[in-house]
Amino acid sequence: MKFGIRLVLGALIAVVGTFGAAAQDTIAKIKQRGTIVVGVKNDYKPWGFLDPSGKIVGMEIELAEDVAKKLGVKLEMIPVIAANRMEFLNQGRIDLVIATMGDTAERRKVVGMVEPNYYAGATNVLAPKSANLKKWEDLKGRKVCAVQGAYYNRRVGQLYQPDLVVFPAVPDALNALQGGNCIAFLFDDTLIGSTLAGGDPKWANYEMPLASEDPQLWAIGVRLTDLDAPFGKLMKEMSVDWHKSGRLLALEKKWGIKTSPYLEEANKKHRGS
Amino acid sequence: MDGTADFFRWLAEAHRIDVSIAYDPLDRKRFLIGLWTTIWLSGVCIGSSILVGLIGAWLHGARSAAARGAVQVFVQFFRNTPPLVQLAFFYFAVSAALPPVTDRFGASVPLIDNVGWAIVSFSLFAGAFNVEIFRSGIEAVPRATVEAAESLGYTRLAAYRHVVLPLAFRVCLPALGNNLVNLVKTTTLAYAIGVPELLYAASQVWSEVFNVREMMVVLLLTYVALVAVLVHGLRRWERAMRIPGYSA
Amino acid sequence: MSALAVLLPRQPAAVGSEWGAARMPSALRSRKTIAALAILGAVWTAAAWAAAPVDRPSVLALAVKWAPLIFGGFLFNLLVSVAAMALGTAAGVLLGLAQISLLRPVQAASWAVTQFFRNAPWLVLLFFAMFLLPFEWRIGGVTVPFPAWLKAMLGLALPVLANVSEIVRGGVLSIPLGQWESAESLAFSRRQILWRIILPQAVKRMIPPWMNLYAILTMATTLISVVGIQDAMTLTRGALVAEARTDLYLPLYFMLLLMFFAYCYPIARYTQVLERRFAVRG
Repeated sequence: MKFGIRLVLGALIAVVGTFGAAAQDTIAKIKQRGTIVVGVKNDYKPWGFLDPSGKIVGMEIELAEDVAKKLGVKLEMIPVIAANRMEFLNQGRIDLVIATMGDTAERRKVVGMVEPNYYAGATNVLAPKSANLKKWEDLKGRKVCAVQGAYYNRRVGQLYQPDLVVFPAVPDALNALQGGNCIAFLFDDTLIGSTLAGGDPKWANYEMPLASEDPQLWAIGVRLTDLDAPFGKLMKEMSVDWHKSGRLLALEKKWGIKTSPYLEEANKKHRGS
Repeated sequence: MDGTADFFRWLAEAHRIDVSIAYDPLDRKRFLIGLWTTIWLSGVCIGSSILVGLIGAWLHGARSAAARGAVQVFVQFFRNTPPLVQLAFFYFAVSAALPPVTDRFGASVPLIDNVGWAIVSFSLFAGAFNVEIFRSGIEAVPRATVEAAESLGYTRLAAYRHVVLPLAFRVCLPALGNNLVNLVKTTTLAYAIGVPELLYAASQVWSEVFNVREMMVVLLLTYVALVAVLVHGLRRWERAMRIPGYSA
Repeated sequence: MSALAVLLPRQPAAVGSEWGAARMPSALRSRKTIAALAILGAVWTAAAWAAAPVDRPSVLALAVKWAPLIFGGFLFNLLVSVAAMALGTAAGVLLGLAQISLLRPVQAASWAVTQFFRNAPWLVLLFFAMFLLPFEWRIGGVTVPFPAWLKAMLGLALPVLANVSEIVRGGVLSIPLGQWESAESLAFSRRQILWRIILPQAVKRMIPPWMNLYAILTMATTLISVVGIQDAMTLTRGALVAEARTDLYLPLYFMLLLMFFAYCYPIARYTQVLERRFAVRG
């Protein structure tokens, strides 16, 4: 019986196919191709978003451009979402993930997280002031929008038991929030903070009412096989350099994000060393 | 049960074939909730889309040109636009335009939630096809039959209910079956507005356990099995409703 | 039986099309339909115009601002639909012919493949292709890249090929058996009968359901937005987030619906004309 099941499953998996990325030196491969393919967000203002001409721009996009410049190749950007970025990386469809990816222990089993981490955020909600939320417990039983694949969905879902409505991508969730389909949008406090600080009248009646929870570092992702290979090392060096030179702080200012304590601290630390 | 769970745990560890819904209680629960949601969502939509079809076909036979025209606009519009955009149109746009209601927390919330809009949207979409299917079935009933019924003292409504519909329904069944199978497949679109159906459940599992391959196989097999059950049921129904001595 | 037959409905011929072969309205009604939709469009424009608040740009101005970008996305949807249709048709014809093969194993295998892909939801097949196809293929020593949009086309071509396979099988089976028998009695080989006698007639009957399938595929191309490829739907959503105006939701989504309607409705109309022209009386 077990053998039968194993046979059927084996056959199915064989049909589906197993595709691993070849352990070839990634830098050489990128240079040979003449292009580096980076998975970025196109719905996460101001880290990576679309301008009206359809071009992807933002703070993370500039980091991707830095990497391409350093390697002397062209930059190709592929929009990814939380639910597919690690798959794409491990399939080899992209060489690098710079897409607001939280650095968790679970994920470290699947992708290589580049240190030092280039950013840090925590969990909060964006809600209309009229919702009158005071504490996390207020979310219980209410409709709260979220995005597929975000690491905090599970934790918040179990801890505070909101009625989570999880969408494939951020714009769907924002549309739903603005349309009044949910009481709040569960998200990263950095993004919420910068959205509200932007002074955009469309967010005038919204607030970030709760105390941020569950601080989380963001990391640039490479394939696990690349982490200790030249490509991973190069990314680490660049990451140190971004902190040390103040590049990250400057970018933060340029894109109108509230200066984060994490970046200030890291800048001090790396300059000191 | 334990033996099966152990087997799949072994499979995950020894062969990296991670069917986590077979041994992880949380994942299994999520998957079963998704399966159940897909089943009842399909059931509700099948019922209401047939109702939409019947009403539409009835209005189409009405004397009022305005009623007939309205049915035509409805049918053609819903048949010739993407169901995913229809769903977004209802859930995001129509919902925002409707007056909100107050929930038990005292906050104003939309009249209809995502599950509700999925039902409305899919019922209208499949219903538009059903209108055409029923109409062609009704048209296939000879005039003489209706006249015969009327000469026996049936009113128009009674003739429609007791004579025309039963006959037309038998003619429609194959096409109707096709459409209902499609309706079940269309329920996957509810994923896009966060309805916790089967695809949603599977994607939740694979974005946490990173077992896309395995979940994809499970998902495909589950849907093919669901559709097979429906097709089988429809075929039995068709056979049960057959008029003796009269067949295609 | 004969007395009963007069009072019972005609049985329509079963067609192997995905959505059944419901008949469409007469040409007169369709003109009215178009007129009614034109009125709807006009009402939309007027409402958008009238709803403009004083201190903010009017909804119409915003719709006009985003329309070119969304229309560009719509053209991409059409491109995907044409490519997926070509791919699916080529593979589906082969699979359909395999379904009427006299070799039992070939017939059984092609039947199974057809049923599997016909009964799986389009969106699930699309996910399947996006996640599980490799990013590049090595053919000989050459590495062929396999970008996302190509995978999406393949993902959409899977259900197309299964449906084309059914259309081909249904078309061939719709030709009366008598034609096979009389051709056999004239000493034609099976291959000759199929290619010279049966297929030329069957193709005519396959065209309407094939066009119907194309219209369905065109509408299904919006699914690629769910797996993260930028199309008209993605761009519409992006525009709505950028403007954050709830009064813009209805007009923009309606505009998107109209774009698809303007493309798919004429195809449906023409399909119906062909259906009538090729219909075999009897």
